[in-house]
Order: sequence, then C-alpha cells, then structure tokens
Amino acid sequence: MNCGDLLRLLTEYEEGTLPTPLCVEVARHLSECAPCEELRHELHELTRLCRESTPRLPEALRRRIEDLLRRQDP
Amino acid sequence: MEHTAPPVREALERALVDEGDRLYALAFRVTRDADLAADAVQEAFATALERAAQFRGESAAATWLYRIVYNKSIDLLRRRGREEPLDEQSQDDEVEPETGSAWSRPPDEVLFGAETREALERVLAELTPVQRAIFELRAAEGRPTEEVAEIVGLPVGTVRVYFHRARLRLRRLLASTFDRGRP
Repeated sequence: MNCGDLLRLLTEYEEGTLPTPLCVEVARHLSECAPCEELRHELHELTRLCRESTPRLPEALRRRIEDLLRRQDP
Repeated sequence: MEHTAPPVREALERALVDEGDRLYALAFRVTRDADLAADAVQEAFATALERAAQFRGESAAATWLYRIVYNKSIDLLRRRGREEPLDEQSQDDEVEPETGSAWSRPPDEVLFGAETREALERVLAELTPVQRAIFELRAAEGRPTEEVAEIVGLPVGTVRVYFHRARLRLRRLLASTFDRGRP
C-alpha cells in the first residue's frame, strides 16, 4: 500500500467499513509512514475544531419555536 | 392548519430540546448566515407540524427534521440568490500528505482557539453547501454515513466521497491559511 492508496481508504478505514485484510494494510501503513499518520492526526484535529465551533440555537429563536408548537395545543 | 396529533408535537418539542443546537448548526453551516439559518429552522418546525401525517415514528423524528432543515436551508439559499456551485468533480482531493501544518500544532505554537476557529469558518466558505452539510453532520455531530445520506438525499457512497473530499480540502485550506503567515 502506498500513500495514495491510504488517502483513498482512510475515511472508510475510520468508519470501520473496510474489509479486514485492507484494515490490516492501512494500519500497517499508518504505523510505518509518518506523513500519513500526521495526516490522520490533522483530520482528527479538524473534527475536534469543528465540534468546538458549533453554533448554538439563539434563545429568541427557541422561544419562537416553542410558541409555534404551543399554538398547536388542542 | 390541521390539528396535529399530540405524539408528533411532543416529538417536535423533544427534538427542539435535544437537537435544537445541532439543527441550527446544520442550517448555519449550509447558509453561513444567522438570519437565514434561523428562518430555515423555524420554517422547518412549521413544515413538520403541517406534515405530521408523514411522521414515521419517534425513532425517525430527528432524521426527518434534519432533512427538512437541510432542504429549507438549500431553498433559502436559492431564493436569496446565494446558491453556490454544486460541482463536486472540480475539487481535487488527491493531495500528498504533508506534515507540519501550523494550525494543528500544540497550543504553545499556535493559538488553537479563536484564531483557528475563525480560520475554520473562513475556509468552510470554500466548500459547497452540500459538502458543508455533510461535514457538519459527519464530523461535528458524528452521525453515521447512512443517516447523513438520508438527510441530504444522496447515496451512501456519494456521501462518503463528499465527506472525504471536504475534510481533505479543509485541511489543505487551513494549512495554507496558517502557513502564509510563517516565515
């Protein structure tokens, strides 16, 4: 497996949808290839960054929707 | 408007409590506009009430609502003339893995806080709306690919490819953003 192969398979590897033999190959490549392991690390950091940046529902909007739902009371 | 069955209304009330932030986050990521995102979420709840008959049971309520929010967000973008190109093929995802991007270094080397988060918001603008939606749902919310596919109305394989491209592109854009400032 080369770095290009890993790039194509990384998402499926992380999702756990790759067949076992390919998983083994990906894991081996990651353990031996520092740039690819760094790539994986950066993609994890990107996920963390995105989670930390998630915007929140404004309170005024929450109240408007609560009112909307309440108006449906029989 | 027809009378809405209490179980549906209760499911929507629960969804507002449990999923409200994430529903808004999806709309905000797609539209990149706080007002449009608010309109999308409010209209989605109104539509959900109107279409209560289509509700398929409590377990599907969240997915159903996410799908409505996503569609409303795309509709609002189109109505406001802000639709962005949806051509995914032009975005090259075959990049060599390079090491040492400044944005992912430890906090003592780069401010892994406001500065990086602002950079993320800027580079997210470079993605298409559907890529942003998929990235938000998969990366930020950790939803399974199958559920994301149902929300955005695309095949599972396509969602997997778009997510793969989106995060590689974001990584590359973040790296170029921070590396521009390096000596």
